[in-house]
Amino acid sequence: MNLTKITKIVLYCLPLPVIIISMFIGPSNMVRFPESFFQLFSTHSDANQLAKSIILDVRLPRVLLTFFVGAALSVSGGALQSVFRNPLVSPYILGLSSGAAFGAAFAIATSLLPMQLSAFIFGFASVGLCYLIASQKRQISMVSLILAGIIVNGIFTALLTITQYLADPFKLQSIVYWTMGNLHNSNWTKFLSSVIPISIGILVIIVFRWRLNVLSLGDDEARTSGINPTRNKLIFVLAATLASSAAVAVAGIIGLYGLIIPHIVRMLNGPDNRTAVFQNIFFGGTFLVLIDDFSRSVWDFEIPIGVFTMLIGAPVFIYIMRKSNVGWDR
Amino acid sequence: MGQINYAIRVKSLTFGYSEKTVLDNLEINIEANKLNFILGRNGSGKSTFLKIIAGVLPAQNASIQIFGNDFKTTSITERAKLIGYLGQHHKAVFPFGVEDVVLTGRAGYVKLMPGKLDKTIAQEALVKAGILHLKDKNYMELSGGEQQLVMIARVLAQQPKIILLDEPTTHLDFCHLTNLMKLLRNLTKEGITIVAVIHDPNLALLMGDEFLYMNNKKLFKTEKSENIWETGVLESIYSDNLERVPYKDKMLVMPALN
Repeated sequence: MNLTKITKIVLYCLPLPVIIISMFIGPSNMVRFPESFFQLFSTHSDANQLAKSIILDVRLPRVLLTFFVGAALSVSGGALQSVFRNPLVSPYILGLSSGAAFGAAFAIATSLLPMQLSAFIFGFASVGLCYLIASQKRQISMVSLILAGIIVNGIFTALLTITQYLADPFKLQSIVYWTMGNLHNSNWTKFLSSVIPISIGILVIIVFRWRLNVLSLGDDEARTSGINPTRNKLIFVLAATLASSAAVAVAGIIGLYGLIIPHIVRMLNGPDNRTAVFQNIFFGGTFLVLIDDFSRSVWDFEIPIGVFTMLIGAPVFIYIMRKSNVGWDR
Repeated sequence: MGQINYAIRVKSLTFGYSEKTVLDNLEINIEANKLNFILGRNGSGKSTFLKIIAGVLPAQNASIQIFGNDFKTTSITERAKLIGYLGQHHKAVFPFGVEDVVLTGRAGYVKLMPGKLDKTIAQEALVKAGILHLKDKNYMELSGGEQQLVMIARVLAQQPKIILLDEPTTHLDFCHLTNLMKLLRNLTKEGITIVAVIHDPNLALLMGDEFLYMNNKKLFKTEKSENIWETGVLESIYSDNLERVPYKDKMLVMPALN
């Protein structure tokens, strides 16, 4: 009992120190901890203007954006797992990543749309398409959802391949970099444009979070106790897709993150969504900031963050799959 | 005596899965505040009937009245306050605490988050179901019978006027079985109508107020004056191979094994 309390306090207090320390991690040796931290608040020295600008205009937006992206993916993943009663569901299984990747590639290759907007639109559309294909009459079965996700992923991967094939080599490089998932070119404009949809999505999930407990017992149980499963599932799917599409549009593909974090939160907190939603925000956000710190400080060059999450996430995924004995039948 | 108060009135209920008709022009009136048991062969449509009344399956063109209210014009939320339903198989996916599972029974009353009152009612439901000691346990780690009782407590927390139970006695040991039967009897005294599908005719005949049986895609009710042990009703449901065993001033039925 005491241990879980301590875990909770640590979880909720962790973000602030991690965010502050993360601002002092990076390739520039102009920025040092703790000198630069105190210099932030002094107006005297001119020599430290550069350090100040690195911290406030380069690192701060990056760290905050990373936090929001991590929170968005974790909260969305947790909500979708409850809605579909399956601990192995994430926004990506519904076709989000390949839709967004095609959207970004399309924008890079044709310059018809802003890249972030295009990734967002196609990411959102791919989940919508997946949901439409999977829904039959009153219910959405797990198997048809997974199969629809495979088909939607297939369609957009094919379209992505065509786009890559036709794009000139310089643009092709940008496309490939985008799909690796990275946050290195964060700035305040990117942050502000994505934080609004992410916040709306997360807020909707926070407001309705208790209904996730009802929905995760099953459609019949929800319906007969007074919750329309079809309508409420749609609310959560829309909110989760809004938040995670915005996250993917700005950060690229961060593989498996939205699947792993909700699982860790369930192990620490239990499945009750009244508290799990907040822990997904705090832990999901903080952990991605930590991974990002790692990815830009371990080697001389930066490793795309999506590569990291995928390599860490894969064994965890296999572990959950083995342990939870998930039946895909419902 | 006045008029009989009906909890459920069903007319011209026809239902089928794709090509196969399961219920054919079914008509039944179920009295309020009674312990009603439904018997019938496997696959005879008992569960389908309960699911339609619970609103899980569509009622299609049938006319269904719940305490005089037209079934089709009542919303899901209003219906949840009238009818509680416990299905046959419940498969848990996440390791929720027992109290949290029971609390979800309040969904029809709760706007966004369950409050103090809801928690108190959930607590009372746990007491009624006799499983207060399981309150902080993990639902997934309970035995099948205990899980069943948790789901019954969940329906009680819903405070409906009618409770539909699909084979509530499966998984229950003798002790829990007796307790459940007592609980159901007490609920009818509190003004709750119970409709339960069970497979044990003896239990139905000994404990129930009313005895319904599914036959030829229709639901029948035996008259009170009828002595069901002797009229051949059970033979018409199951088979001719039944034996009678005297018990107090009554008879019990057993399958004849030779």
